[in-house]
Amino acid sequence: MMMEQNKDKEKSAESLMAEWMKSSMNFWGDMAKAQSPFFPGQFAKSDDTPDAEKEREQTGKNAARQAQKTLETGSKIFQSFISTISKPENLESVLKGIDSVPDLMTMLTRQSWDSYSELQKQWMERIAKTGKQTKAYNFDDIDQETFKTLREIYENEFQKFLNIPSLGLTRFHQEKVNRLIDKSNLLHVALNEFLYLFSTPLEKTTAVMQEKLEEMAEAEEIHDDFNAYYNMWVKILEGHYMTLLKSPEYTQVMDEAIAALLQYKAAKEDMLCDVLRNFPVPTNRDMDELSKEIYLLKKKVRTLSRKLDETSPAE
Amino acid sequence: MTQPKIAVDLILKKLTESTEQVKSRAQKASEVLLSPLKTDLATTPYEVVLEIDRVRLKYYRPEKIKHKIPLLVVYALINRETMLDLQPGRSVVQTFLDHGIEVYMIDWGYPTRKDRFVTIDDHVNIYMDDCIDFIRNQHGLPKINLMGICMGGAFSVMYSSLHPEKIKNLVTTVTPTNFDTDTGLLHVWMKNTCALNMGDAYGNMPGDLMNLGFLLLNPARLMIDKYIGFFEHMDNKAFVENFVRMEKWIFDSPDVPAATFRQFIEDCYKKNLLIQSRMELGGRRVALEKITMPLLNIYGKYDHLVPPEACELLTRHVGSKDKEDICLNTGHIGIYVSSKCQELFAPKIAGWLKEREKKKTAEKKASAKKTTDRKTGGKAAPAKVVSEKKAGAKAATGKKKVASAKKTATRKSATEKTKTRSAAAKK
Repeated sequence: MMMEQNKDKEKSAESLMAEWMKSSMNFWGDMAKAQSPFFPGQFAKSDDTPDAEKEREQTGKNAARQAQKTLETGSKIFQSFISTISKPENLESVLKGIDSVPDLMTMLTRQSWDSYSELQKQWMERIAKTGKQTKAYNFDDIDQETFKTLREIYENEFQKFLNIPSLGLTRFHQEKVNRLIDKSNLLHVALNEFLYLFSTPLEKTTAVMQEKLEEMAEAEEIHDDFNAYYNMWVKILEGHYMTLLKSPEYTQVMDEAIAALLQYKAAKEDMLCDVLRNFPVPTNRDMDELSKEIYLLKKKVRTLSRKLDETSPAE
Repeated sequence: MTQPKIAVDLILKKLTESTEQVKSRAQKASEVLLSPLKTDLATTPYEVVLEIDRVRLKYYRPEKIKHKIPLLVVYALINRETMLDLQPGRSVVQTFLDHGIEVYMIDWGYPTRKDRFVTIDDHVNIYMDDCIDFIRNQHGLPKINLMGICMGGAFSVMYSSLHPEKIKNLVTTVTPTNFDTDTGLLHVWMKNTCALNMGDAYGNMPGDLMNLGFLLLNPARLMIDKYIGFFEHMDNKAFVENFVRMEKWIFDSPDVPAATFRQFIEDCYKKNLLIQSRMELGGRRVALEKITMPLLNIYGKYDHLVPPEACELLTRHVGSKDKEDICLNTGHIGIYVSSKCQELFAPKIAGWLKEREKKKTAEKKASAKKTTDRKTGGKAAPAKVVSEKKAGAKAATGKKKVASAKKTATRKSATEKTKTRSAAAKK
């Protein structure tokens, strides 16, 4: 059953491929012919009209002729390439490759979907937790799992695509671009985690204030001065921040955010330096080298000048 | 459950009053903000007497000089020395001038990317040393008084250890020397994060990034409450002027050269080498026992950046016999700008320096008397004589050095005087 399905699939793909080949050959043939007004004689026969010959002589600039030749060669190569792969024995292998594209897409989609589901699960758990009371001046219950999961998903599922070895002339540039994308993604994850953690005292302060207000209302001690509430709120907020900022969790998250920022900056500058090399401007790297040389020279001159002052007799 | 009774009518009445107040305040505030405001910093006149690279040496001359020895003030690389001359009535510099002290102050300037390789060694052994030699030469003195602030205090401690022969009295204010403490958040963060790499990544450590770090030390007060306070007092011109001056100063932060920043975090915050006398500058060990001159160490009880634990160990480790710790009931900046500290801080330093000057004069008179007595057949004091001889030899060496410094300074001044005069004229 499966075998039959595969054969049908292959047949349909084969016919589709053949159709595509035909239409693309026609297209490129037409395109090449369409060049004829600009490159007269390109597609004309050798015994063309004398007018056309004259016209060719008039436009006979070397560059244009060269371009004509190149286009002609390119067109021939392309046509022969298409004819070669159109042969049934070659077409089969091409189709196998084409069939693997949807497989790759399916795999990518599946991974994205799995990751999204995992995240959604985490979010749902988190939403369920919001109903529970938050503990004042205690940051043990910080929900960092979401961010950990986000980072793990990225590192396990997506980062590897950016680490595929680059090939060819531009491999180093491509690697730098990939590195920048990678570091940018990591920075976003780290920054989100940091901002989330940094905002938790606000959430906790609101909860504590609510409790306090309830207590005050119960005891009929409601203030008529709004400044009193603000002062109360800011004092509680400050207390929460003091507890959070001293916690090792905060220091760790802040350290990760700083590290991610520095790596992103290094990757960005590395790529930018590559881009700037194509322009007649010095890069930071060039200027730093120059500055270092000047710095060392200045130091040397100062030392020598001091030595000279010490050795020369006093006036 | 009974329904709590809330005086809704009272709340509504208060709300109406508050709305009226806000409306009237907004009207007055717009008048204040649109009128000309006096928000200039550092208005006390000075002269730039020396320029080395980006570093400038400012000279403040009192109306009547009452102290023989001038005072060099070394500020931190973070923020600007203008804090010591924030506004008339709140100026440490002006108080010193009122006490007849000639004040020199180092302005570190704004480092650019080309300064990224400048180390602590360069700051201490080149810039500070050149400034001190210049002052010694100008006044014909072998030693001068040195006062350091925060990181500038740490630099002054390092300098006094490496060049004790040039420092008469040392004053350290809110100076971190012991970094092994978890009381201050800055100490915890610097020890446990990779912040030291920031300078290298950015070329220099950006001032704005440091300011962000300082704001994060107390976000509730520094990012919220402070500005709410401003909105509440926007109709008060004097308040607005003071607030804007402070804002100007706080966010005027030069970058810190990458190499200096890295070394300060690595050697001080992470390894705590300074207080252990294990720190090295230009291949020389900074030995605290070599600090033998009188030392006055002032710090703030509520300093959140440099807590007392970071300052108070210094006097225990130095070789000075004449040393004093003073802990004021204030914070890191309040020590210089709060109205309460205006009467405590600078006058105390001026008095302390005057006392040491008087003491020295009295000692000199006594020793002169003893020598006369000995010559006239009075009882000799051999130990004292030896030490006096040593002192004499030292003074001679000092004079030679002054002469050499004079020569250097003369060479420099020929080219620099023109610069200086034009800068002063511009000022």
